[in-house]
Amino acid sequence: MAIRDDFPILKREVNGFPLIYLDNAATTQKPQVVIDAMNEYYTSSNANVHRAVHTLAGEATEGYESCRNILKSWFNADRAVLTSGTTEAINLVAHAWGRANLTDGDVIVLTEMEHHSDIVPWQMLAEERNVELRYVPVMEDFTLDMDAYAASLEDAKLVCVVHTSNVLGVRNPLEEIIELAHSNDALVLVDAAQGVPHERIDFKESGADFMAFSAHKMCGPTGIGALLIDADVFETMQPFMGGGDMIETVTITGSTYQTNEHKFEAGTPRIAEAIGWCAAFDWMATLDLKKEHKRLIGIARWVAEQLREMDIPVYGRHEAKDSAVVSFLHPSIHSEDLAHLFDSRGFAVRTGHHCAQPLLTRLGISGTVRASFYLYNTMDEAKQFIEQLKDITERFG
Amino acid sequence: MTYPAELSELIEEFKDVEDKMERLEMVFDMADEVVPFPAEQWTNQTKVQGCQSEAHVHVQLEDGKVLLLSGADAKLVQGLMGILTLAINGSAPAQALLLSPDFAEEMGILNSLSPSRSNGFRNMFDKVMKDIRQFV
Repeated sequence: MAIRDDFPILKREVNGFPLIYLDNAATTQKPQVVIDAMNEYYTSSNANVHRAVHTLAGEATEGYESCRNILKSWFNADRAVLTSGTTEAINLVAHAWGRANLTDGDVIVLTEMEHHSDIVPWQMLAEERNVELRYVPVMEDFTLDMDAYAASLEDAKLVCVVHTSNVLGVRNPLEEIIELAHSNDALVLVDAAQGVPHERIDFKESGADFMAFSAHKMCGPTGIGALLIDADVFETMQPFMGGGDMIETVTITGSTYQTNEHKFEAGTPRIAEAIGWCAAFDWMATLDLKKEHKRLIGIARWVAEQLREMDIPVYGRHEAKDSAVVSFLHPSIHSEDLAHLFDSRGFAVRTGHHCAQPLLTRLGISGTVRASFYLYNTMDEAKQFIEQLKDITERFG
Repeated sequence: MTYPAELSELIEEFKDVEDKMERLEMVFDMADEVVPFPAEQWTNQTKVQGCQSEAHVHVQLEDGKVLLLSGADAKLVQGLMGILTLAINGSAPAQALLLSPDFAEEMGILNSLSPSRSNGFRNMFDKVMKDIRQFV
């Protein structure tokens, strides 16, 4: 049975044409099992987690906590905090680790390739704590300047790096980046939002201290993500959001906090989403992800070649470990016009700065059109995409 | 609501077209109606907020009538500006202020555009109306 048969949304039409969904770097579609799992939870087991003794609360708690267990085993991690997504996970590090461990004159190293969600929290913290931010440049071949990176590590306490660029699809040399950081006594936070959908990551083996990602980019629900944390680093963090579930005791003179991941999960958590994410992991476990990734990067490389043959600049290199993202800029049709024209024929593509304005500034452009491929996309769809682009160019270019 | 004759005709023309690409092409063609607003004169005050692309408008009076100058980098935005130009240019300010933005919906343009673009159109419309109000 084809992978795409598991995705009911792929059967719909858009503007009278079959949907060809190529906006996977923004969010992926959900297989029926994820939809069913969330539906089943609300239909049969809905309750709040952890406190109540009744049966439904027990089922809800089991479902929610099983997500944490799956995360720990899928990624080989000791600590997994459930968050609303990558953005909250990174903000959690800024508040819970940054405020407890950074002082005047400390340095955080970022890269020009980061998503805004891995820039803005650090800018806010830098302003508050008088911390210096250093940015590793992106070179003309769309890779990080590793010499500049090595030179930027003096006094660095933290390195924040994107696993795979959401604009370029370029997978960074994390092994080298982490090793260099650690040899300079800096911790490393990896924004793996675009990495985990394409690569099975072993968190402990990677050496990273923090890893943030979202469920919705790997066929799970929106509104939930995770922060994996090294066990020793976990102990150096202070809670930043106070409320229910994260406390041990509360009196009118003060409170004590949980010592496990719950101390970072104040308030009623995303229970249905956690259960849906479990179903997504179970579904993905049935696939040969390495084989699928090879197929997808092959499609992306073919699309990039076709675009270059049409004299359309492509931003990316599409090597074996990169993600299947193709960013390009049409020479005669404005990106937004192009996206609307594609939409009129059922194609979903992305335009704009992709929440990575510093990277686009470095590339000297204000936006791109981005086609991103995932598990259910086929070579036939890629061919239709190129054919459609040729038709649009002929008519509107 | 009743519209100026030229706009009413345009609304009917758009209503007759089912294919979205064709409708987009018709919007693109309306860019010809724009009275150009040179990019050198674009400022933060002339910028339309909420548009994904760069869009600027400037309203002035000529012989007591509204003159909308506008410019954008995307063809679709230029087309939307052209339609607005057709609807208000040459009208007395008080009369131009009577125009409702519903015409874009009646033409099926808002349905054919992304929500951000629709908001951009609404923001453009509101900014132009606000600029006209200073002359009343």
